[in-house]
Amino acid sequence: MDTIVRIPAALRTLTGGADEVKASGKTVGEVIEDLERRHPGLKDRLLDEKGVRRFINIYVGEEDVRFTGGLATELKAGDQISIIPAIAGG
Amino acid sequence: MSVAQELREARVLVVGIGGLGCPTAIALARAGVGTLGIADDDEVDLSNLHRQILFDDADVGRPKVPAAAAALARLAPEVRVERHATRLLPSNAVELVSGYDLVVEGSDNFATKFLTADACAIARRPVVHAAAVRWHGTALAVGPEGGPCYRCLFEDVPLENAPNCAEAGVIGPVVGVVAAAQADLALSMLEGRASGGGPAGELFTFDGKSLAVRRRRIPRRKDCPLCGDGPRIRDIEPKRYVEGIACPDRKETTWTPS
Repeated sequence: MDTIVRIPAALRTLTGGADEVKASGKTVGEVIEDLERRHPGLKDRLLDEKGVRRFINIYVGEEDVRFTGGLATELKAGDQISIIPAIAGG
Repeated sequence: MSVAQELREARVLVVGIGGLGCPTAIALARAGVGTLGIADDDEVDLSNLHRQILFDDADVGRPKVPAAAAALARLAPEVRVERHATRLLPSNAVELVSGYDLVVEGSDNFATKFLTADACAIARRPVVHAAAVRWHGTALAVGPEGGPCYRCLFEDVPLENAPNCAEAGVIGPVVGVVAAAQADLALSMLEGRASGGGPAGELFTFDGKSLAVRRRRIPRRKDCPLCGDGPRIRDIEPKRYVEGIACPDRKETTWTPS
C-alpha cells in the first residue's frame, strides 16, 4: 500500500526536490524503511536509536504518531504522512 | 473596554527583532498595541535587509534595538517602545517576560526558543512562537495557562544537527507570511479569543514552495517536562539552554532558492 509522505523543505535535498513522495508499508516504521530505500539518508534525519528524533514530529493525517503508537502506528488506505521538523530562524 | 482600548493598554515583548520580529512589531504597533518591548543584542547586517523591514542601508552596523525603535517611532508614533539591548538570557528571562502581557518570539536559535517557552510558562504569560527557514515556516500560540506548549511539540534543545542547519537561509516573503501569522495570533490572543476554540495550541505551518497553509491542533503531552502532569521544569537552569553543537557550522545565507 502506497502512502503519500509530505517532505518539509529542509529535507527535500534528499528527495530530489520533491515535496511529496510515495512509500509503502503497513506502519509508519515500515514506510520510513521504504523511504530510506528510495531516498537514502532520510531515515537518519528522522530517527535515532530511541525512535523519532525529539525535534521531529511525524503526523498521520492530523495525528501526531507519538500519541498513536509511534513507529508501530498502522496506516489505512488514503492516509498521508507529514513530517514537521523544529526550525529556528527568521 | 473596547478592543482598541484593550490593545492600547497591552504590553507586548518582541524577542528577537529580525525577519519575524520586524514585520510582527510593525503589525502590532499599527494595530494599536500601546507598548512594545524589544529584546535583541545584535547589530544590523547587510544580509538582514531583504527581510528585516524596519532597517535600511543606513542602519547597517547599528545595534538593532535603537534602529528598530527609531523606525517604529516614524511608522507608528503613538506606540511606546521599551528598549532591551540584550538577548533573552537565563539570568533575565523570567523578569523580562513578566513585565509584559504577551510575548512574541522569533529568535534564530533553539536555546532562546526553549528559554522563552520556559520563562513564559513560569511567569504564566502567553507566547507566540514563530520560525522560518528557507521555504518552511511555523507559528504556535501558547496560552498563559501553559499547555499545550512548545515542549509538547519539540521536546528539547536539539543536541544533534537539526535538519535545516546545513541549509540555513531565509526567504524574505516566507518570513513575511509567517510574521503576519504570528502577529495575527498575537492579536487574537490579546483580544481574548484564546478562551474557547481560540488559536492557542494550534500549529500553523506554511510551505513557501506550494503556498500551502495548514493548521493542526497539537495535544498536550502528559509527560511534557514543562506543562505535563508532573512538570520537571519549574525554574530556569542555564545548562538547559546550551545549544552549542546544535548548529555548529551555521552560516546566514540570504537568497538561495533551490
